[in-house]
Order: sequence, then C-alpha cells, then structure tokens
Amino acid sequence: MYTWMTLASAADLSQLDHHIDAEYTPKSVAKKLAVGLSDAVKGILIERNYIDKDYRSTYYNFYAKKGRQYRSDCVRLHFFDETVSFDDSALKLSAKDGHLSDHYFGFMVLRPTGVATIGRSVVTPDVRRGASRFIITADHKVHVLGHTLKIHGFPSMDQHIDIAVCAHATCWSILRHYSERYSIYREYHTHDITMLAQQFDPGGFVPARGLALSQAERVFQEAGTYPVIVARDIANLKDFSFYRQLTAYVDSGFPLFAAMHNKGHAMAVVGYDWRTPLNTGLPGMRYSWDEIKTLAVVDDNHLPYLSIPADGGHYSAKDIDSFIVALPEKVFYPADAFDTLVPKLFKLGKVVQLPPQDKAIIRYFITTGSAFRRFVRSHESEFDPQLLAAVMKLPFAQFLWIVEIATESQWAINQISARAVIDATASLTEHYPYWILHGRKEALIFGRESVDLDLQNGMGVLTMADTGHFGFSRMDTNLRPTRTK
Amino acid sequence: MDKNKPGLFKLVEGLKPVDASALEEYEREMTDEAIPEIIKDVEKRRMLAAESRQRRLETPTTDKPETPTTDEPEQSK
Repeated sequence: MYTWMTLASAADLSQLDHHIDAEYTPKSVAKKLAVGLSDAVKGILIERNYIDKDYRSTYYNFYAKKGRQYRSDCVRLHFFDETVSFDDSALKLSAKDGHLSDHYFGFMVLRPTGVATIGRSVVTPDVRRGASRFIITADHKVHVLGHTLKIHGFPSMDQHIDIAVCAHATCWSILRHYSERYSIYREYHTHDITMLAQQFDPGGFVPARGLALSQAERVFQEAGTYPVIVARDIANLKDFSFYRQLTAYVDSGFPLFAAMHNKGHAMAVVGYDWRTPLNTGLPGMRYSWDEIKTLAVVDDNHLPYLSIPADGGHYSAKDIDSFIVALPEKVFYPADAFDTLVPKLFKLGKVVQLPPQDKAIIRYFITTGSAFRRFVRSHESEFDPQLLAAVMKLPFAQFLWIVEIATESQWAINQISARAVIDATASLTEHYPYWILHGRKEALIFGRESVDLDLQNGMGVLTMADTGHFGFSRMDTNLRPTRTK
Repeated sequence: MDKNKPGLFKLVEGLKPVDASALEEYEREMTDEAIPEIIKDVEKRRMLAAESRQRRLETPTTDKPETPTTDEPEQSK
C-alpha cells in the first residue's frame, strides 16, 4: 500500500511508471513533475488505495454510472526533502531532526480516470520552479501513517474535462482555499461546484460545455461570499484601472477567478512578483501594478504557481479581461474609487507632509483592523507612541483599505513615506472615508462617531516625535513570501 | 452622535484641531470633481461587468485529446 521512492535527480521520477497503474497516467504525471518541481524534492511516498473526497464526489455522481468501469480509489503522492526516510517494515516516516512537517512539501492525488489525472493537490510554492515571490496560501493539515503534517499552499487540480472544465476547477481551488483559511466557509467538493453553478442538476456531459462568467459568480454567491465582477474595457487599451484593481485584490490576499475570453480559459491568480526596482527619476505617479513583473496563477494546464509575465509573450496578464473577487460581506468601498481618490489625498499635504505627487508610488490593498494593529505592534519602534495609541483605540470596522505612498528610493528598500487607513465600509460619497492619514511628522486622525463630520471635533492632527527613521516598513503581511528550495 | 462617547479628542491624546482653511481645496475638489468621478467610474465598471457576465469559458470537448500526447501540457479549457 505504501512505497518509498528516493530521487537522486528529476530523471528518477520515471520510476513512478513502475509503481503506479496506467489508469493514473504516471508517465504523464512524472513528466509534469520533472519539469515543474525543484531538485529539493528527494523522496516520494506513494500511498495507494487512498480515498479522496473530491474524486469520490465525482465518482458517485458520474463515473459509477458509466458502462466503462472506473476504480473508486486514488493514489496520493507525498513529497519530502533529503532528510526524511521511510521504514518499510514499521511503516514509519522519520526526519533527522524529528520535525517531519518542516521537511514536507505537500501532496498530489492521482485519479484513476485515464486522462487529466492530477486531482486535489496542495504543494508548497517553495519547491515549484520559477514560483513568484509572494503567494496566497493557507495552512492545510495532512494525515498520513499516523502523522499529522502541515503544509502552506494553494489547492489545485486538473479539470476532469468530461464533467468539469477549467472554470469549475478554478472555483474549486478558490473555495477550498477559503474553507481552509477562513472558518466561516464550508468545504465544497468537485461535484458540489458543478451543482452550485446551475439552478438544476445539469447531469451528464452538460458541465463540460463550460461556464459563463455569471455562473462562476453564482458559485461564489452560493458559497456564502460576496463576489464582485471587474471587467476590462476591451475598447480601451489603456484601461490601467482594471490592472490596478486586480493587483490591489491579490495584494489583499484574495485569490481571483480570472477569465481570458480570447482563450476561453479561466484560472486563479494567487500571487505576484515585483520587478527589480528602477531608479528612473522620471516624473509621474505610479501604482504597484506598474512594478509587477509576474503574476502567479493556478492554471489547470500546469502545475500550480505558474508565473506569467505582466505583459508580453503568448500568455500574460494582458490576456485577462475580467475577474471575480469573492469578497467578505463588509467591504463596501470599491477599488474603483482609488484612481480618483488617491490624487486628491495629496491635497491634504498642507496638513500632513507627503512626498511630491509626481514622484510617488502608490500601493493599496485590503486588510483587517486586527491585522493592521498586529503589524503596527510588531513595528512599534517606527511609530510615535500617540499614533500607536490611536491605532489601538480607534473603533475600526472589520476591514480597512490601506494606501501606502512611497518614493522611488523608498520602494526599492520596502519602505514608505505615508499611509492612509480607510474605512472599507465607507460610502462612495464621503469626503473623508479615512481613519488615519499619517506621514513621518504629522498624522490626521478622524473620528467616525457621527454621520455628519464635525471638522472641529471629529478630526485632529498629531504632531509626532522624530522616530529617527527614513521611512516606515511596507505592510507585506497578506501573502506568504516564497522560500525557494 | 452618541453624547456618552468620549469624543475623538479624549480618545486620542495630543490631538489639535485642524485649520479649516487647509482643507478647503481638498473639500472643493472632492465635491466638484472626485466624488462625481468616482460614482461615474463605479457605474461604468458595473456596465462592463454586466456585459461580461454572459461570456463563456469553454471549448468543445471534441477538441480535447483522449490522452496527453506531448511533454507540454495540453491546452484544455
């Protein structure tokens, strides 16, 4: 039932063919793994007769009804580094330092379907060749041979082709991430996704005819999220606002259901990498989208965390023409507003010293009030004690938009000059949707206790002590930095 | 406003009132330009979303290979 495979090099992956039955297409899987996984993977535990909940959901509802007989069990591959060994007689995994989870790279389920056999998988981006630097992940628990292992990753699977297409696989990946990351969301299996997309049981091959974007939206609505569709203006080649919003939501830790209608394709955007900082000295405000080198996508044609360029080539972020972001309920202030609001922020420069607008790089994203307080607490030496106290005392709503303003030289060292903390539940028509706007010398603090803002009593300015630093740390806490192995 | 709440100046020590004249330009531009522009942008993006809803993500299943034929993963949809 269990077989250990030691890998001296990627070529040894061809051994999979000797250990796994043909209906799991081990040759094809080995080729993908040899190309996509790094050499840090030195051991694979093959677990046969594995009962996979997602495959079973399609087996009970589709494969078991066919004349051709399909197996009901799967194979699961577990990936380890060189310090892990397997005692075949005792059926025991051991790591030299006793911390097995620290040497575990994740798992991949293989389905007995003869085609597109890679099922539910969670592999760390650390062992994915070419993975981007920042990836949205959740902790996944894995039970094997009496061990409980933990892996940080994003779920992925191949589409089934006959009963589910890329759009179903993408919805599944995002919702499985949500169920692992946030306790308020339940788990949905592969067949559940197919059912959520329709008002009735589509049966048979109907799901293979694809999904409209509205059906993917429906899946996320039915799953208890509040999806927002953002579409690009196809007629406007310079619809930069679309990509700024895309960057903002990914930077907020929300994986995106991204559609490429020119390719009829969907995939999840789950991370990004910055380009090497440039000291251009050129005037003109820039946004974080302008600094993106690659997006990380979970595309069911490839192993997860494929890096695609922001622009150029036959497959890039420029092919994305719409996306769905599955938001929590209490995010009312839309990302659309920031292209207009941010330039106006500089008009408050008379009260709070800000860098010159035409030399600023702007980054904006959503976080929670508690995550922001945690960030400030962990960087408390950067903050004036009175500003820190304000952050701790203000009655934030659950979600905040953060706008970070940096100069080019600060951006290069992950620092910022100023930050606006915006109430994510604010209305579009508010003149002051802010909680805080702070630079290095002053901070504007806003009371939001009244609908009618009283300028004398509902807003105040703090003059801050010099904390002796050049800039504040950029808040990089929503995505996990990849530790390439 | 809830009269029992302490108010911003009691909640946060060291705050001073803001000179209203320093906010005039910001307020005027928010009223005259930014807020109408934001409302227009949101409406325009909502229309684009409505148009995109019926676009399909698919290719005919007959285009898909029975088994993978090359080292490169097939372009499934």
